[in-house]
Amino acid sequence: MSYPEMLSPAGSRVFTLGNVAIARASLEYGVGVAAGYPGTPSSEIIEALGYAARKLGYPYVEWSVNEKVAFEVAYGAAMAGVPSIVTMKHVGLNVAADPLFSSAYTGVESSLLVVSADDPSMWSSQNEQDNRIYGLHAYVPVFEPAGAQEVREATLEALRFSEEHKHPVILRTVTRVSHTRALYTFGELRGPRMEGRFQRDPSRWALVPAHARRRREELVKKWELFSHHLSSSALNAAEGPEGSELLVVGAGIGFRYAREALSRLGLLGKVRLLKLTTTVPLPRELIASELERKEKVFVVEEGEPVVEDQLKLLSFDLGMRPLIMGKRSGHVKLTGELRLDAVAEGIASALGLSSLPREVRKPSLSPPPRPPTLCPGCPYRGVFYSLRKVASKMKLKLIYSGDIGCYSLGINPPLSSQDIIVEMGGSLGVGAGLTRAVKDAVVVATIGDSTFYHAGMPGLVNAAFNGAPMLVLVLDNGTTAMTGHQPNPATGHNLRGEARRIPIEEIARAAGASSVRVVNSFEMEELDKVVAEALTDARGGKLSVLVARGACILEAVAEARESKIQRPLYYVEQDRCRACTICYNLFACPAILSSQDGKAKIDPSLCTGCGVCVDVCPFDAILPRGEVEESWRRLLSGG
Amino acid sequence: MDSLNVVVAGVGGQGVLTLAKVIGEAAIASGRGALVAETHGLSQRGGSVVVHVRIGEVEAPLVPEGEGDLLISTELLEALRYASFLRREGEVVSDALVLKPYGFKGDLKAYQLAEELRRLGLRVHLVNAAGMAEPLGDVRAANMILLGYSVARTALGEFLDAREVEGVIGRGRGAEVNLKAFRLGLSMRAEG
Ligand SMILES: Cc1ncc(C[n+]2csc(CCOP(=O)(O)OP(=O)(O)O)c2C)c(N)n1
Ligand code: SF4
Repeated sequence: MSYPEMLSPAGSRVFTLGNVAIARASLEYGVGVAAGYPGTPSSEIIEALGYAARKLGYPYVEWSVNEKVAFEVAYGAAMAGVPSIVTMKHVGLNVAADPLFSSAYTGVESSLLVVSADDPSMWSSQNEQDNRIYGLHAYVPVFEPAGAQEVREATLEALRFSEEHKHPVILRTVTRVSHTRALYTFGELRGPRMEGRFQRDPSRWALVPAHARRRREELVKKWELFSHHLSSSALNAAEGPEGSELLVVGAGIGFRYAREALSRLGLLGKVRLLKLTTTVPLPRELIASELERKEKVFVVEEGEPVVEDQLKLLSFDLGMRPLIMGKRSGHVKLTGELRLDAVAEGIASALGLSSLPREVRKPSLSPPPRPPTLCPGCPYRGVFYSLRKVASKMKLKLIYSGDIGCYSLGINPPLSSQDIIVEMGGSLGVGAGLTRAVKDAVVVATIGDSTFYHAGMPGLVNAAFNGAPMLVLVLDNGTTAMTGHQPNPATGHNLRGEARRIPIEEIARAAGASSVRVVNSFEMEELDKVVAEALTDARGGKLSVLVARGACILEAVAEARESKIQRPLYYVEQDRCRACTICYNLFACPAILSSQDGKAKIDPSLCTGCGVCVDVCPFDAILPRGEVEESWRRLLSGG
Repeated sequence: MDSLNVVVAGVGGQGVLTLAKVIGEAAIASGRGALVAETHGLSQRGGSVVVHVRIGEVEAPLVPEGEGDLLISTELLEALRYASFLRREGEVVSDALVLKPYGFKGDLKAYQLAEELRRLGLRVHLVNAAGMAEPLGDVRAANMILLGYSVARTALGEFLDAREVEGVIGRGRGAEVNLKAFRLGLSMRAEG
C-alpha cells in the first residue's frame, strides 16, 4: 500500500483514514522510533509510517514479531529520550501488558505513545475488551479522540503530554475512529528526533523490589498530578448552559454520537455537553466544576462504562449525588458499538421524553449469509483436504486445535478443520493440554507462520520439553495474510526491505521436536504421503512438526503480474467428468461450479491457476490449457 | 436537504471500499463535509462488505438503520442485506448481478430480489453495470458505472459535482477505464 499523503506539505487538506492521521501526526511531532504488530483496526499506522520512512529515510519503523517486543522496542528508545510510538489492536495489549505496567513505574525520557485500537462489535476480533481499563490498572493516562475528526490533535497532545510528564500514554481508538476517513489539515513535519542518550540510573530503570517500591510511591503521586493537569487540557471542552440540570458527557467518539443525538432531540445548546478526550484518569477539577448543581448526568462512551464508573466514584468523594446514567442504568447497551439512534433513544428515555419516530423495515426474504472463505487457490485448502482424507483412511479421529489467521476460515464445512480458536498462539498450548486429557484422538495444532513467531514458539518449546504427542501443522504462506500481508520472519525481508529469513523448520529442529518435515502445499500427492507419515509419528507418541509451505495466492498472483509470469488456466474435460462432486463439494474451491447435470466447470474469472484440483479429481478430468511454466510453480512453492 | 446518508455495499473484491472513498473525496472536493466508515479485515476474502458514507456537516460516522437515503450495491443480494438501512422511499442503485454465496443451493433471481426491495417501499434502480464494464476491460469498473448513474439519477447528484468526481477518479489507479465507466454511468437513461 502506498500513503503519499504522509508526505503532503503543511497546510494540505487531506481526506484520509484516522489511522493515517495518527501516523502523520507522529511524523509531524518528530517520532524517531515506531514499532507494531499487525492487527485490525490498527495496521495502517505502521504501514503509513513505513511508507514515509522508505521515502524520507526516517523515522525508524519496524513490524515486530509480537506486541510485547514491539512495546519493548519503543520503550527502550523512549528510555534513551527518543520519542516513540507502538501500535496494536486491543488484544495485542494483553500480550504487551507486562512491559506496559513496568513502563509506568520507570517512566521514560521522552514520549512513549501506546496506540490501542479497540474493536467494539468485534468486526475482526475474538472479544470486545476496552483497554481504557488497562490505563486505570497500570496507571497510564488514556487519551481518546472524539472521533476520527480529532485524531490528529489528540495524537499530538498525547505525545506532548507523555514527553512533558516522562510517562507512557495510551491513545485509545476504536474501529470507527481508526477506519473512518475524515478531513484533516496537516501540519509541518518537524524532522525526527532519532538520537538519544541513555542515562544510567539503576534505581529507576532496574525494577528490583527495593527500587520498585520507591517508584510505586512516586507513581501514585504522579497519578494525582495527572488528574490535575488534565483538567486544563484544551482537548476537553464544554458547551451549552452551565446552569443546566443535565450534563451529557461524551467520551471519545461518544461525544459525536451524543452531540448529534442532542441535536436530533432539539436539546443541543439547551443542556450542558462535555467533550471528554482525556478519559483516564478523570480530570478531577474539571469534573468537579461541571458536576456543580447537576441533577442528572448521562454518559455516552464506547466500550465498558469506564467514564461512568469513575464519575460515580468521584462524585461520591465530592459529596455530590447526581443521578448518573449510561450503560449501567441500561440506557445504552453494554454490548456492541454505539449507534446514533440508540444513543438518542437512551437520552430520551432517561429524560422521560418520547423517543423519535423511527421506522425500520426488514425484507421478508432474508439473503443467505456470505461468510468470508479461503480464496480460490489458497494453499491451505489442499492441506486441510489432505489431512481429512488421510486421517479417514488411517481411521484416526482428529481434534483440530486451531489458531488465528486466514486458516481460521477452515472452520467452515466441508473442510471443518478448526475445532478450537481462542487466541494467537493458543493452538499449541491448548493442543498440549488436550493430549493430557484425550486418549482416543490425535491432536493437530494448526498455526500460521506469523502466529508461530508471535506466540507459537514458546508453545512448541514447551511441547518438546514436556513431551506432548501431537501433530504441529505450521501453515507457512510466507506472509501475515489476514491483516493485509505484512512481512514476518518467513517472508524473506523485513519492513525496511532488508533480506532476512528465519526458517520455521530450523526453529522446530532446534526446539527438539521428534520429527520435522517440510512439504509443498500445492503438491497433492506428496502432501498425502507426508501427512500420513507425520500423523503416524503423532499417533506413535511423538511431537511431530509438519511445515506446509506455499505462497498466499494473492501474493503469488500479484508477483506473477509484476514479473510477467504466465499463469495457467484450468478447465474440466467434460467427457471425463463423472459428476462425482468431489472437487466442488468436498474440496470446495469457489472457482469450481456445478453444471445442471452435476458435472464440474471452472469459472475462468475466479481460477487462480493453483492446479491443486488436478490431483483432487479421481478421473483426471481437470487439465491446464497449455503448459504450466516452471517459474509459476516456483512462485507457488514459496521457496 | 443538508446531509445525505449513503450506504455502499457489495462482495469483497468488487471495489466497494474504493467506491465509498471516491464518494467521500468527491464530496469534500465539492465543498461538503464527509465521513466514510469502512470495515476491513474479515469482511474481505469474498465476504459481505458495507461502508457508511455520510455527506454534510455530520458528527457520527454511522448511518442509523431506517435513515439511509441511498444504497449503492455492486451485487443484488447485498443490496437486500442492507436494505433495512434505508428510510421509506430511499433509493437503491444496484448492479443486477446476483452472486450466490458459496454453498448456497437455492435459486434467487434478480427480478425477485428487486421485487422484494420495492415491496419495502424503496425506489429501485437496477443497472447492468458488471455487464457494461466487461467490454471496458475490467469488470471491477462496474463500481464507477454505478457511481455515475447515482450522480446522474439520484439525490447524490445534489451533493457531488460530476467534474469533481472525475477529478478524484482521474488521480486514482486505473483512471482511464474508471473515467470511461463513470461517464458511461452518467449518460445512462433511467430505466422504468
Ligand atoms: C494478539 C493478537 N495480535 C494480533 C491479532 C490480529 N491477527 C489476526 S490473524 C493475524 C496474523 C495471522 O498471520 P499468519 O499466522 O501468518 O496467518 P495467515 O493470515 O497468513 O494465514 C493477526 C496478526 C490478533 N488476533 N491477536
Ligand atoms: S489471503 Fe492468502 S492465505 Fe488468506 S485465504 Fe486468501 S490465499 Fe489463503
